[in-house]
Amino acid sequence: MRQAAVTRLSSWSQRRHGIDSLPISVVRRRIYIVPSRFGVALGLLLMAMLLAGLNYNSNLGLAFGFLMTSLVLVAMHHCHRNLLGLTLDVTPDVDAIAGETAGFDFILRNDSLAERSDIEIRCGDGVVTQSVPPVGYQPVELNLAVERRGILRLPRIELRTRQPFGWFRAWTYVHHPLTAYVAPRPVGDHALPSAAAAAMGASHSDTRGDEDFAGLRAYEAGVPLKHMAWKVLARGGEPAVRSYTGLAGQPEWLDWSSLDRLDPEARLSQLCRWVLDSEAAQRSYGLRLPGVEIAPSRGPQHRTACLRALAEYPQSEAP
Amino acid sequence: MSASLFAAKRSVTLNAPSVMAERVTFEQLLWVTACLGLALLASMSTLPLWIVAVVGMVAGIRLVLAARGSDAPPRAIRLIIAAVAIGLLFLQFHTFNGLSAGSALLSLIAGLKVLETRTRRDLYVVPMIIYFLCLAAILQSESFWLLAYLVGVCWLTTAALMRVSRVSRVGEWRGSVRHAGRILAQALPLALALWLFFPRLGSPLWQTPNAANQATSGLSDTMSPGDITDLGLSDDIAFRVHFNGDPPPRTERYYRGPVLHDFDGHTWSRTDAGALAAPPLVFKGKPYQYTVSLEPNQHSWLFALDWPSQWDAASDVLTNDYMLMQATPVSTPTDIVATSYTHSEAAQPITIGMRQRDTRLSRNHNPRTLELAAKMRSEHSDDLDYIHAVLDMFHEQPFYYTLNSPRLADDSVDGFLFDTKRGYCGHYASAFAVLMRAAGIPTRVVTGYQGGTYNRFANYWILRQSDAHAWDEVWIEGSGWLRIDPTGSIAAERVEAGLNDLATQGAADTSRWEQRSTWFKDVRLRLDALRVMWRDRILRFSQTSQEKLLARMHIPEPDGQKVALVLAACLILAMVWLTWQVRRDLTPRTRDPVSRAYERLCRRLAAIGLPRSPYEGAEAYAARVAAARPDLAATVGALCRRYSQLRYANTPTDSAAASFISGVRAFRPAKSAGK
Repeated sequence: MRQAAVTRLSSWSQRRHGIDSLPISVVRRRIYIVPSRFGVALGLLLMAMLLAGLNYNSNLGLAFGFLMTSLVLVAMHHCHRNLLGLTLDVTPDVDAIAGETAGFDFILRNDSLAERSDIEIRCGDGVVTQSVPPVGYQPVELNLAVERRGILRLPRIELRTRQPFGWFRAWTYVHHPLTAYVAPRPVGDHALPSAAAAAMGASHSDTRGDEDFAGLRAYEAGVPLKHMAWKVLARGGEPAVRSYTGLAGQPEWLDWSSLDRLDPEARLSQLCRWVLDSEAAQRSYGLRLPGVEIAPSRGPQHRTACLRALAEYPQSEAP
Repeated sequence: MSASLFAAKRSVTLNAPSVMAERVTFEQLLWVTACLGLALLASMSTLPLWIVAVVGMVAGIRLVLAARGSDAPPRAIRLIIAAVAIGLLFLQFHTFNGLSAGSALLSLIAGLKVLETRTRRDLYVVPMIIYFLCLAAILQSESFWLLAYLVGVCWLTTAALMRVSRVSRVGEWRGSVRHAGRILAQALPLALALWLFFPRLGSPLWQTPNAANQATSGLSDTMSPGDITDLGLSDDIAFRVHFNGDPPPRTERYYRGPVLHDFDGHTWSRTDAGALAAPPLVFKGKPYQYTVSLEPNQHSWLFALDWPSQWDAASDVLTNDYMLMQATPVSTPTDIVATSYTHSEAAQPITIGMRQRDTRLSRNHNPRTLELAAKMRSEHSDDLDYIHAVLDMFHEQPFYYTLNSPRLADDSVDGFLFDTKRGYCGHYASAFAVLMRAAGIPTRVVTGYQGGTYNRFANYWILRQSDAHAWDEVWIEGSGWLRIDPTGSIAAERVEAGLNDLATQGAADTSRWEQRSTWFKDVRLRLDALRVMWRDRILRFSQTSQEKLLARMHIPEPDGQKVALVLAACLILAMVWLTWQVRRDLTPRTRDPVSRAYERLCRRLAAIGLPRSPYEGAEAYAARVAAARPDLAATVGALCRRYSQLRYANTPTDSAAASFISGVRAFRPAKSAGK
C-alpha cells in the first residue's frame, strides 16, 4: 500500500512538473515533507508535555513545552531548507555489464552558505548519502547492481533528507530518466572466429601473427600507449603508431550468425566475451547482429558502441 | 579481469539497508548517556536514589562494553535486569501513574535502552525520554536556575541527537553544539509567542496529586522551649509583605500565626476550637492595607498583621482566637490582600469557655513557678500591676537572651526561671504565660513573625524564618486582649548573638543581615526582588495577565477570544520571521569587499550593455570592454588589472584594496561613447 502511495505521489508530481532538464535546481514547490516515525512519536510526546504543563498550571512547564514545540517547527524548516536550492546534475546514460554495477555520477552543487547535510540520492533501489559543503559541490557515485541484460530505465531520481534531527523527511523527485545500457554477462567458451579459422589450418601458420610489425600509420585517438612509435615522436615527427599485421590487417568479425547453435542470450553473452577479449588483445573487431553491423575498429568508444548494441538487442520472449 | 571485476563488486555501496541500522559508536553512546545523566541530576531530589544508581550502572556497563568494542549484553541478561528493576519500582510506588512514578519508570527505561543499544535507531529513543524527564523536573520546581539548566541539557541533547542522526562524516563537537544552539535560538521567538498568548486553563483537567515530598517549613502548631531547636537560624523566607502606604512602626508589626492554648508543663500546643466565630472587635487607630505573599509551607494558617479586619478570599476564615485560616494547606505561593488595625478592644466580654481554656494549668508541673506566682500575686492584686512586676523581674534579674539555650527537663518553666535563665522568645513567652495563668489571668501564647527586613529596591518587607517570634496575649477586664512581648523586657546588655532586633527594638531597622556588609545585603535584596518579579510575572502568568498585556497593547475590551487572535497573529509573524531566518543562508552573500566592488563594476558595465560572461576572467573582460568602448579602455583596464593583482598577487595590501574599491565607486560609465 505504501509502495502504491509512493508511486501515485511520484506520478502526480511528474504530471505537475513534467520531465525536468538537467542540471536542476530544487525549488520550493517540489519539496514534500512529512514527519518521520520519530517525529510522530515526538509530536505525541509534545502533546503530553503541553497537557501536563496546562494541567499542572505550570508556566515553566509550558515554557519548556513550547520551546520544544518551536524547536520541532524550526527543525522542520531546516529539513525543508536542506534541499531547497540544491542543484543536481547527472550523466543520464551509462554503460554496464550484467552482474556488475551501473555507476551513475551525480554532482550536487550547493550555492548557499549552509552545509547540506546528509542528502540521500535514491534511484531504483540504490541509495547513497553525502553531505555537500557550503558554496561547493560534491560528486556522488551511485552504484546500482544490475543483473539482467537490457536497457535499464529509471524514470526518476529522488533526493531525500532527514536532517537535522531525523524528525522529518523531506524529499523531491527529479523526473529525468536515467538509462543504463546493460550488456550481457561475458560468458562463453567458444574460440574467436579467427582462431577457429586458424585451427582449421587455413591462414597464418604463425600464432604470433599479431606481433608482426607491419609498419607505421598515423596516430588516432584511443591507441594503446605501448603501440606508440615514441622514437618517431622523439625525432620530431608526427605522432605515429606501429602497426602489426594481426591488428590492422585482418579485422575480426564477431558474428551473431556464427553462433547458431546457442540460444539468443547465450549468443549475446558469447559476443560480449569476444568483444571484451578482442579489446583486451588490442585487435580490431567488428560486430554483426541481425539488423546491426558495426564496422571493425577498436578503442573504448568502439567497445562501448558494441556493448551498447548487445544491450539494446531486443529481449527474446522469455519462455 | 575476473579479479578486477570482483574488486569492483566489493567497493559498491548498494541498496544500503537503512543507515539507521548502523552500529552505534562509543562516542555517540557516551554523549547520549552523558545527557541522560545531566537530566537525571535535575530530578535527583524526586527520584529514588536506587533508580539513579541502576541507570548509572547499566549505562556504565554498556559504555565499558562499547569502549571494548563489544555489543550489548545478551538478551536474557537485559530482560532479567529490566524485570527486576521495574518490579522493584512497582513495589515502591504501587503505580506507574503520577509524575514521580512516571519519571522514575522513564528513567529506568532510558537506562535499559542505553544498555540494549545496538544501532543508532535504538539510541534515538533516549533523547525523547530526556526531553520528558526535563519537563517532569520543571513541573515540580519553580526555579529559574533549574529552567536554565534544563534548557542547557536540552541544548546538549539536541546536539547529540544531531550527531547520532547524521550519516555522513560529522565535524567537531563544538560545531554541532553551535548549530543546535542556533536552531534553539531560532525557536525562541515562536516559543515566546506561544507562551504569552496560549490560552490557559481556568481549572485543571484532572486533579494533580499533591506533591507529598515537600517538607513542611516554618512554624508548627506546637512549641517546646525546653527542646533544642534550630528556630531562628534559617534564612528561608516565610513570606513577603507589601504595604499600600506607610507600614506600621516596627514595634507593631506582629504577624499572627498559630495561637497556643494548651500547656502540659513542657510543650505548648493547640487543640482546634471548632468552627467558632471570632468575637467581634472594636478597631482603633488607622487601618493598614497590605498584601502578604506566602511561600508554600504545607500549613493551613495564614499570617496576617495583628488584628485583621478584612481579607479578600471569602473562603478564608478567622478563628475565635483571630487566626486567619485557609481550607487547604498552603502548597503553592499564595497572596492574601488584607486590612488590619494594630490596636483593638474587645466588643464583648470573654466567654466562660475561653476563660477556662486560657487559665487552665496543671498543678503537677513547675511547682516552683506556681509558688513564685502565688507570692507575687499576693503583692500585686491588680492584674496590670502583676504583669508589670513579672516583666520587671525579666528585666532586672540576670535573664539572658540566647538561641543556644540548654536542654530543659520536664518542668521546663521551673528550669528556665530558676536554673538556666537563658532562652529565646519561646522560653519567655512560655514562662510568662504560666506565671499569668497561675495568677488566674487568661493568657495564651501567640506564635508568628515580627519585624522583617525592608527591600528598598522593590518596596516590600521580607520575613524570614529567623524572624519567627512568640509572644503572649493576656485578657484585661474591660479592654480585651492585650499583647505582651516578654522577650522585649530583657536588658539590652544581656542579649547574646542571634537575636535580630529585640535588643534594639524601636531603634533602627536592623537585622542579622544588615550586620553584614552593605553591598552583600544589597545584592541579596536585589536578588530577592528579582525572585519576586520572577514569581509574579512568570510563575503566576495567567489569563488575567494575558488580558492586561492586551490592554497595554491598546486592544479594547480584551478577552480570551482576542488573546487567541493575537496568538494567531504572533504565530504568523514568528513563522514569517523563521522562514526568512532559515532561508537567509540560501543566497550567498559576498562578504569580501573587494569581490563586492568587482561585482559592482560588472553591474555598472552590464548596465551599459556589456555584461561579463560567466566564464570571462577580469583581464579578458577588460579587453572586450576596451574593444567595444575605447573611451573606457584605460579606466576599466586599470581597475581589472588591479582586481587581478588583488586576487592573485602574493601579498595584496589593504591600501591597494581600498584604492580599488574607491576607484570602482567613482567609475560611472556613460551610456554611449559620446564623442
